[in-house]
Amino acid sequence: MRLTRRDRLLLFAPLAILLGGWLVVPALVGLTATLTTYTPLTTSVAFARWQNYSDVLHDPQFAEAVRNVAIFTLVAVPLELALGFGIAYLLRRPIRGRSWWRGLLLLPWLVSPIATGVMWHYLFSGATGVVNFVLGWLGRPELGSPIGDVRLALATTIAIEVWRVAPFVTFLLLPGLVAIPEERWEQATLAGTSWFQRIVKVALPEVAPLMLTVGMLLTGQSLGAFDTILILTGGGPGTATLTPALYSYDRAFVTNDWPAGAASAWLIAAGVAVVGAAYIRLSGRWSR
Amino acid sequence: MVAVRAPRLIAVAAVTGAFLLPLAWTGLAAVGVLPDDSTRPPSWTGPPTLDHIAEIGVAEPTFWQELATSTVAAIVAACLTVAVAIPSAFALARSRFRGGRTVTQGFLVLASLPVMAYVIPLADLSRRVHLIDTFAGVTLAEAAVTAPLAVFVLHGAVAQLPTEWEEAALIDGAGVLRILGRVVLPLIAPSVAATLVVMFVLDWNMLLVPLVLTSGEVKTVPVALSDFFTFERELDWPTAAAALMVSLAPLAVLVGVFHRVLERFVLQAPAGRDIG
Repeated sequence: MRLTRRDRLLLFAPLAILLGGWLVVPALVGLTATLTTYTPLTTSVAFARWQNYSDVLHDPQFAEAVRNVAIFTLVAVPLELALGFGIAYLLRRPIRGRSWWRGLLLLPWLVSPIATGVMWHYLFSGATGVVNFVLGWLGRPELGSPIGDVRLALATTIAIEVWRVAPFVTFLLLPGLVAIPEERWEQATLAGTSWFQRIVKVALPEVAPLMLTVGMLLTGQSLGAFDTILILTGGGPGTATLTPALYSYDRAFVTNDWPAGAASAWLIAAGVAVVGAAYIRLSGRWSR
Repeated sequence: MVAVRAPRLIAVAAVTGAFLLPLAWTGLAAVGVLPDDSTRPPSWTGPPTLDHIAEIGVAEPTFWQELATSTVAAIVAACLTVAVAIPSAFALARSRFRGGRTVTQGFLVLASLPVMAYVIPLADLSRRVHLIDTFAGVTLAEAAVTAPLAVFVLHGAVAQLPTEWEEAALIDGAGVLRILGRVVLPLIAPSVAATLVVMFVLDWNMLLVPLVLTSGEVKTVPVALSDFFTFERELDWPTAAAALMVSLAPLAVLVGVFHRVLERFVLQAPAGRDIG
């Protein structure tokens, strides 16, 4: 049906007010403020051009944070997609109680990121943890928590994120895999293709656009990685697990360097915008 | 086929078991079944008890109130998100304009934008308009965070519908709001329900918005959990485990009840496929 201009205005108005007031306007006000010497406490404000951004970009801590979040995203997102796809592939054909399995598998994602941090803090610690319990069974000495080890901390936060998010990827990919017509599988089976070729030639082409969409969501969330790491390591040891989001939060609310906090937060948005532009281009090519 | 199916069922059970092991460990700790490392090989303490759930209220006197705040805030925010997203998703699906696809995908990009990107100025603005530390301020901000994802999913649901019924209602003289409410809404009801459930989960688990927009008045469970660690007030493990299980339980029940409807939370309608 054709909507008139008035209809469209009426239908879009509630969303425009909500997103305008609580997302777009704050973001743009924030951008404007970071180009000045504004802080919530000062009364006189002067134009500062890109000074705040220059300060943040020259801060070695922020460089560390960018490096960490790049590794975090480049490792975690492909792992989440691959593992999530693998589990969805197992569930694609009807098995006994499939929707129950799907619900059970969603449980790790239902644990809030903050509770995930609390939980793994204890699971890795000496007296209460699952790791040392198993080692004890094997008669091996106890290990220190990997989140306290500079070399292992980032890898551990990645593993925990994959544990939490891969089940959600399965949840999002399964409808796409289930929708593949049965004939495709039958044709491939009759042609004598191996299970690996069936994944590459039948499943992946069908769910590729969906995986791209899921990948966009995961990438954006990874670039803002915050909750779980805040609890687990607070960015440490040293700067081993510091992310730009933790950096922004620390500057804005802990060390009271509001301009640095708001500017570095805008750099996260810029990162998401770059990935988002690539996503829109790619998804356009696929839909044609 | 049975021969083929059994290994797959075993594989699914094994994977599910592996993913749920940390939660099972936590669940055992919550009822007081803890590992005892002092013996060789390690053993378990017992017997199961519900005492630790009562201890949550001792360690964090306002925990039960925080649970209630989380519930009400998540319900209000999820309903607000979906109520706002439905008309927009409908308008987006039924408008033909240049760049319409880009706008739709733009909502997904917006959905993937981390809250941290704009929450710092949002907190400052909220303070200036006296919405800080208010229930309305928190729920409106939460609703805005999740709205782009809801628009994207519901747009997919509307776009899949044939337009004949809408055209028929239009010829009968129905207005656009009437068509939306009486024709479109019943047809996308399962998708709306699935979106409500997912939005509830996202709102319930959200940390940054309530953390930054309140200073104690509208405290939710994630904020309470973060307090324990940022202020170095360590919980003992069984109590923490009990608190985790109690805050997970409502979501688990919700997903259990709606597990069939949740199949309608689809990010992308199977497009370009010849149906029939």
